[in-house]
Amino acid sequence: MNKTIKEVFIIFTAALVTGLIANFISPRGIALIRDDSSRYVIDSAGVNNGFDIKKRGKLNKAGFYEPVNIPVEVAKQLFDDNVKFIDGREDFEFKEGRIKGAINISYKEFKDKTIEQKQQIMKDLNKEQMLVSYCSSDSCEISIDNAYEMAKAGYNDIKIYLGGYKEWTKLGYPAEK
Amino acid sequence: MSFLSNKYLLFVLRLIVGGLFVYASMEKLMNQEEFSKAIFNYKFLPDVFINIFAIVIPYLELISGLLLILGIFKRGSSFIFLVLLVVFIIALTQAYARGLDISCGCFSLETVGQKSDILSRIIEDILLLIATIIIYIKSKIIIIKENQQ
Repeated sequence: MNKTIKEVFIIFTAALVTGLIANFISPRGIALIRDDSSRYVIDSAGVNNGFDIKKRGKLNKAGFYEPVNIPVEVAKQLFDDNVKFIDGREDFEFKEGRIKGAINISYKEFKDKTIEQKQQIMKDLNKEQMLVSYCSSDSCEISIDNAYEMAKAGYNDIKIYLGGYKEWTKLGYPAEK
Repeated sequence: MSFLSNKYLLFVLRLIVGGLFVYASMEKLMNQEEFSKAIFNYKFLPDVFINIFAIVIPYLELISGLLLILGIFKRGSSFIFLVLLVVFIIALTQAYARGLDISCGCFSLETVGQKSDILSRIIEDILLLIATIIIYIKSKIIIIKENQQ
């Protein structure tokens, strides 16, 4: 057992040192601590404490407006105000059921398009209009990723409804097939 | 003679397990951000450890895989795979049980959304775990025998 521990220790140290050095040198290196805080700018507490839903996310260093996370009460309020909902799931899931009036922009296909192609796909939408991105539930990240892709393509007021289709239908809110 | 065949069996198993882990590490190294996201999706690790994991695990797999193929530090590298596979299986099983839509991030970063896909990954990992246990135990026996001679 002692020999095993010794070998594990040597291999682990080699992996740790190589990993940290390679990550530091590599242009594709990642931060040592994952930061998702910017992805969740406003939570439900923020909304309850007087967050102005009409205000868009902050303009970040990359030059696009950060999508803003909204809870279900706000999503419903926006739905009632006829704000457009974007469903990021795949075509077959969209057809099986969606938030009423939502349009399908499948993240799987959308993510690999150029900025021009993305704008072409979204040509019927105004860049300044508010859009709500959602997917199946908060255990998928498509709503967030799709929101960021749209924001990077120049759409300036994207909200993320993390609860998604599962939460929406559980509450009996309007859906269609 | 049976000892000889065991030796060959051991060699083939080492090639398979080591090779698969080297292959798996390559994909993770090419897409570390994606791998970090895959770990995040499992929701079983505190956020502060996610990226350290995403940085170290691919190199741990790569180095251990190469050593296992070359037959150096067989016990250490197979023990590391043993631990990794147990962790993968636990992570996959809890994701399966909770019905998470996850990207597995085990051997491919491709999205695995279907429950049946997660189940086949679990079976795949269990088979690999069995192979790894054989390597670990047999390496130990061979070393003991060599020491006795």
